[in-house]
Amino acid sequence: MSPTRREVLAGMGGATLAYAFQVGCTRTETIDYANFPAPERKEKPDGRPNKPGVDHRDWLLISSDGTVSAFTARTEMGQGLTTVMYNLLSQALELPDERIRVVLGDTELCPEDGPTTGSAATHYVAWSFWRACHEIKKDLVLLAAEATGLPSEDLEYIAGEIVSRSDGDRRIPMGELANGQVRRMNLDADDSSVPPPTYVDKGTLSVHAEAVVTGTLQYTGDMSIEGCLYGGLLIPPYHRDMTRLLTKRLGRAKKVPDIVDVQRKSWTIVAFGETYTSVQKALAAANTEWEVPDRPVELDNEREIRSGAVLRQVMEQKGDVEARLRASDIIHTESYITQYGSQFPMQTDTAIAKVEPDRTTVWVGTQSPFLVRYNTARSIFQPESKVRVIGLPMGGGFGAKAAHMVGAEAAKLSEMSGTPVKYVYSRKEEVQHRNRYKESVVIDISTGVTPDGRLLARKTDIFQDEGHGTEELYDIPDVLTLRYETRMPFKHGTMRGTSYVQTVFAVESHTDMVAEAIGMDPLAFRKRNVVLRAFRPLIDSCAEMMRYGVDELPEDHGVGFGIINHGGRQLGVVGAEVSVDRATGEIKVVRLCGSFDIGVVINRNTARMGIRGSMIWGLGYALFEEVQLDGHRCHTTGFSSYRIPRFSDTPPIELAFLDNQHPGAPRGCGEMPLPATLAAICNAVYKAIGVRFHTIPMTPERVLAALREG
Amino acid sequence: MAKKRYGLNVNGQRREVEAEPDEPLLWVLRDFLGLTGTKFGCGEGECGTCSVLIDGDEYPSCQVAVEDVAAGEQIVTIEGLGRPGDLSPVQKAFMDYTAFGCGYCTPGMIIAATALLRSNPRPTREQIIAAMDHHLCRCATYPNVLVAIESLAGPNDAEDG
Repeated sequence: MSPTRREVLAGMGGATLAYAFQVGCTRTETIDYANFPAPERKEKPDGRPNKPGVDHRDWLLISSDGTVSAFTARTEMGQGLTTVMYNLLSQALELPDERIRVVLGDTELCPEDGPTTGSAATHYVAWSFWRACHEIKKDLVLLAAEATGLPSEDLEYIAGEIVSRSDGDRRIPMGELANGQVRRMNLDADDSSVPPPTYVDKGTLSVHAEAVVTGTLQYTGDMSIEGCLYGGLLIPPYHRDMTRLLTKRLGRAKKVPDIVDVQRKSWTIVAFGETYTSVQKALAAANTEWEVPDRPVELDNEREIRSGAVLRQVMEQKGDVEARLRASDIIHTESYITQYGSQFPMQTDTAIAKVEPDRTTVWVGTQSPFLVRYNTARSIFQPESKVRVIGLPMGGGFGAKAAHMVGAEAAKLSEMSGTPVKYVYSRKEEVQHRNRYKESVVIDISTGVTPDGRLLARKTDIFQDEGHGTEELYDIPDVLTLRYETRMPFKHGTMRGTSYVQTVFAVESHTDMVAEAIGMDPLAFRKRNVVLRAFRPLIDSCAEMMRYGVDELPEDHGVGFGIINHGGRQLGVVGAEVSVDRATGEIKVVRLCGSFDIGVVINRNTARMGIRGSMIWGLGYALFEEVQLDGHRCHTTGFSSYRIPRFSDTPPIELAFLDNQHPGAPRGCGEMPLPATLAAICNAVYKAIGVRFHTIPMTPERVLAALREG
Repeated sequence: MAKKRYGLNVNGQRREVEAEPDEPLLWVLRDFLGLTGTKFGCGEGECGTCSVLIDGDEYPSCQVAVEDVAAGEQIVTIEGLGRPGDLSPVQKAFMDYTAFGCGYCTPGMIIAATALLRSNPRPTREQIIAAMDHHLCRCATYPNVLVAIESLAGPNDAEDG
């Protein structure tokens, strides 16, 4: 039986007062909060656990020493969640950072409040803590009134103390109210009465800053555990699911110094050694032969995607599209395709696992601690209650560390070796073998429009296995959006801007082409048709920053725009100026401007960082990023064969924040600027050289080929 | 290959290790000496994450064999530049300008900026970009890193968008 949270927390500052809260909860709570048991899921009839869900019960603890601890399973991946949590808690409770603890990603301590994906942690988690703090202050006043006998109207919360208004000398520190109670509250889904947080001073630093710059921040690979061995798996020379190990000779591998063991295990060879290098050398020295895949080497993504496709989902249906298209004066039809992409976080996936008879611990940089716990429990046939996953800071995730197996694999290796095991993917292993790629997606799109620029009808066929589509951008009366599932043989998963980046690329490229077909300015066309009025000031602001229509552009330069609506809560407009070298085919992004409506910006440093980073990612998608796959192999090995944006690719970036839609709540920003930037660059290239790219990335080879075709 | 004993000069201290001659310095630092501030990024010298100073010049430690730095070369890692509470000017600037996202590439960036500013105390923006261009940051914090380095190179007119 695993310890209850209360037992685990016993050492955290004596007596505690705990608050459990949930936003917008309407059902009756039946869970026994009093003992804060780690959430246990019902098992399926065959004993297998159910997949992780979301319970959305966040909680906060006040210790008798007056420190406040906040717990969430969301994790820090460089987006600044820890900093935002500190900023908000410190502002809400008027406390210095030293009196605040933020505990992230520990399955034993934290509620199962969802994975860290979709740029949603600030919006859902940090915001619910902010709102809870305001309720907690009121509750502390009531508790203090009970404790002192003073009327509650006479008491107010000031900086961690409950103070008497009539007698300022009478004050009770909130830590003294910590009496082992658990208070629970359901926060009203309507947050309009909650005071909004304010901007944190520009100079506010990331809480990790000093540890980062001194190299002392502990990422998973930096931990050392007594008796820990490195473990590793041999990756096959072909796509994993298309091959099998035929023969092996391991004599040489076993002779590598510092190697403890090399053996065949299930589908491959595993090695254990004292050092990372010894494991890599042993795996390289293993003499193996693998079955050649039984399929053609040649792979034409578009043909393959279309040939196997099956209609899976009607994503949106309004009116009668076919009839309206037939009746439209102008119909514009196009097809777009994106290529496979890979996240390439700077830190490869890494985990340490320690499997003991009664208890397993996994330390891992992960976006989904509870999914790691689930996968680990399954891989070593233990109940989830005996597995603890501790999420550590990540050297980037970008989706690669969401649905990943490194924790479960490390646990399997630890079980085999009988020691703790550290498993560090090599760069090649990560991209060739472990990766869930950003999908290659085909999009067919037809639009009917009036000569004066009113959108009438749109039919979109999306060939994509991850099906989220995109939020509506334009007001179109008749719409049909269908999604087809493909039979592409590669694993795909989340990657920054998933899974709507492809759709936005197509829709926003197409928008410019439709505008041109009717001879209308692309921004005027957008302003006329956007579904949300809040887009209009953003478009104006971005056009002004770009000096659109004011500056004369040099030859082979172009300016383009793209807009984005992320979940209805984050809006953005991005403008790009590019120059194209007709001799080399090289595209240079000269500058980028972005206008965003993302609610209150809690920390300007981290928000700007996230947004600029996301825009630079858009540049990478537009110009460089493509995993080289054929029917047998992945040819991409690492950064030498997968170009990501560099210093010299990064243009000046200008940002503006407008807050028109829902003043008040912070709404996050990490993914949203990316697709708009990608589309803006594509549209700018079209303006520069008159070539519309229906395939990204726009590599020099593709640009030269397109220019040759004229 | 058999293991040999090597004496290394790391952050001003003599350290003994027993390793194969081709053991990359990166893993000597991390696995043999417990200096984990130097991070593993790619193992092919393509990303700059594992950079260290060797006699004042920047090298990707994953591409340096231990036997090539065992003749008294001065190896300086991020731990040798400064520590919490006692930061080097470059570390301080990276902190002040939040010139990092996840922070994983930051030790390598700081090493490179330190080497640059020692050889050229007043680099132009173009010179900074040229000197730093082999350092990859997937959080794409390049604008902040540029501003941080420029703050040490004299007055800067960088945008604060």
